Amino acid sequence: MSLNFKVPIFDVKNLSFSVRGVNILSNISLEIFNAEYIAIIGPNGGGKTTLIRMLLGLENPSSGSVRLFGKKLKNFKEWHKIGFVPQRASLVDANFPATVEDIVKMGRVAKRGIFSGFSKDDASKVEDAMKKMDILDLKEKMVGTLSGGQRQRVMIARALASSPEILILDEPNTGVDIVSQKRFYKLLSKLNKEENITIVFITHDIGVIADDIGRLFTINQKATICNNPKETLSCEDMSALYGIEAHLLSNHKHEHKEGESC
Amino acid sequence: MLEMFEYEFMQRAFVAGIFIAILASISGTFIVLKRYSLMSETLAHSALVGVAVGLVAGYNPLWVAVIVAVLSAWLIEYLRTTFTLYSDAILSIILSGSLALAVIIVSLGGAFNNSLFSYLFGSILSVSNEDVLTIFLFGTPALALLLIFSKELYFIAYDEEVAKTSGIKVKLLNFLLVTVVAIIIALSIRVVGSLLIGALMVIPTSAALQYRVGFKNTILISLFFALFSVVFGMSLSFYFSLPSGATIVLSVIALFILSLVANKK
Repeated sequence: MSLNFKVPIFDVKNLSFSVRGVNILSNISLEIFNAEYIAIIGPNGGGKTTLIRMLLGLENPSSGSVRLFGKKLKNFKEWHKIGFVPQRASLVDANFPATVEDIVKMGRVAKRGIFSGFSKDDASKVEDAMKKMDILDLKEKMVGTLSGGQRQRVMIARALASSPEILILDEPNTGVDIVSQKRFYKLLSKLNKEENITIVFITHDIGVIADDIGRLFTINQKATICNNPKETLSCEDMSALYGIEAHLLSNHKHEHKEGESC
Repeated sequence: MLEMFEYEFMQRAFVAGIFIAILASISGTFIVLKRYSLMSETLAHSALVGVAVGLVAGYNPLWVAVIVAVLSAWLIEYLRTTFTLYSDAILSIILSGSLALAVIIVSLGGAFNNSLFSYLFGSILSVSNEDVLTIFLFGTPALALLLIFSKELYFIAYDEEVAKTSGIKVKLLNFLLVTVVAIIIALSIRVVGSLLIGALMVIPTSAALQYRVGFKNTILISLFFALFSVVFGMSLSFYFSLPSGATIVLSVIALFILSLVANKK
């Protein structure tokens, strides 16, 4: 592994999480490096979201450790390097008084000093983020009036406004139509390839992004790391993971034809 | 109309009322967006315990009300974040507990009289110079803190977890918000009354939300509604000898109904 000499963005060691004696995650160890594109899959209740929440310090692990950019979570201060888009991102409260620009500006709030206002640099970062997500023309619109796909792009623009080095997205496609989803996958791939932003993405649509991702983590209480998902991901793996018979419907041409089943 | 300003007590009431309208509407915006509306009612009842202690023990009731309301706000926030209790249940328990405690204190102290009545429903006649001074002494730093941290508080109201993962000190700012709100509520009970101050915090913002505009404009509309209701309500109170809290709250409810009708889908 040529990348191993670098400090990983996330260094997770022996992480376990249990609630009232029930094991949700056991003994997870993994590393995430700069500019990677990682998909996380697994059945509902398998612990994907819990893992992400522990990586971000939103849940405390029962045991094990998480290091972020080489620092222990409790000592980590550079949160602007991390852009998080949670599961419910596109299901925003329709009555919340926010324009698209209000939301994207939130991405700059933690970066500014207490007494400093919104600077020119902040304004240009906000505009850049809106341009990248193709929502500049919506900036005056109330976020509650947007479609699911548009809201999703607003939430990612908010995360991008802090100039993150890593974007973590937890099933952000909830409530989003298929056309918008495809456009969204293209945007993620572009951010990863052109801007070197590390992407960690919880999804169920593994077939659709199989060509873009570098590594695949399957999480079902334990973690299995798949370093070359295109080569090694099999229907047997998927069946074991989800506990049902799996059929791969892939759009990549090397191993599976469209609609081919195991 | 302007003859009411010839009276010194009306000048004092207007100065205090206008400042309270500014404080209540701006803090109210964050309270409503965080779904903390019931918090203002609870803290107002806790402030009443302070008033009762002040009346019975002979201290300035407003000062004691500020202290008790702040302690109550911290207790609520501590219970909310430490135990697996529903927020609204905690608020209900402390609300009724505070009222019961206040009634017992004043009953034992023999202070159940007109003085307490004015703290329940507000009274423009009773606003003293010392009250105006107290309102400005505590209200100015409270307003300054709200304005300094308005963007952070807005972000937290929108999504507490995302705000936390962006590096915002959510727990600290939540404590700061409830502290500031407790202070503002305690200060307001002179003019609006403890049974009615919750309305002045919650209704202007609820009315402003009907216009479906961005954050800044929502605050500005809410501020305008609160100012209008206080000025109009206190004028009604003066001319018809009614408790000022009641006239202020009915004025703001009228604005709320107009806003609902005007923005009906």
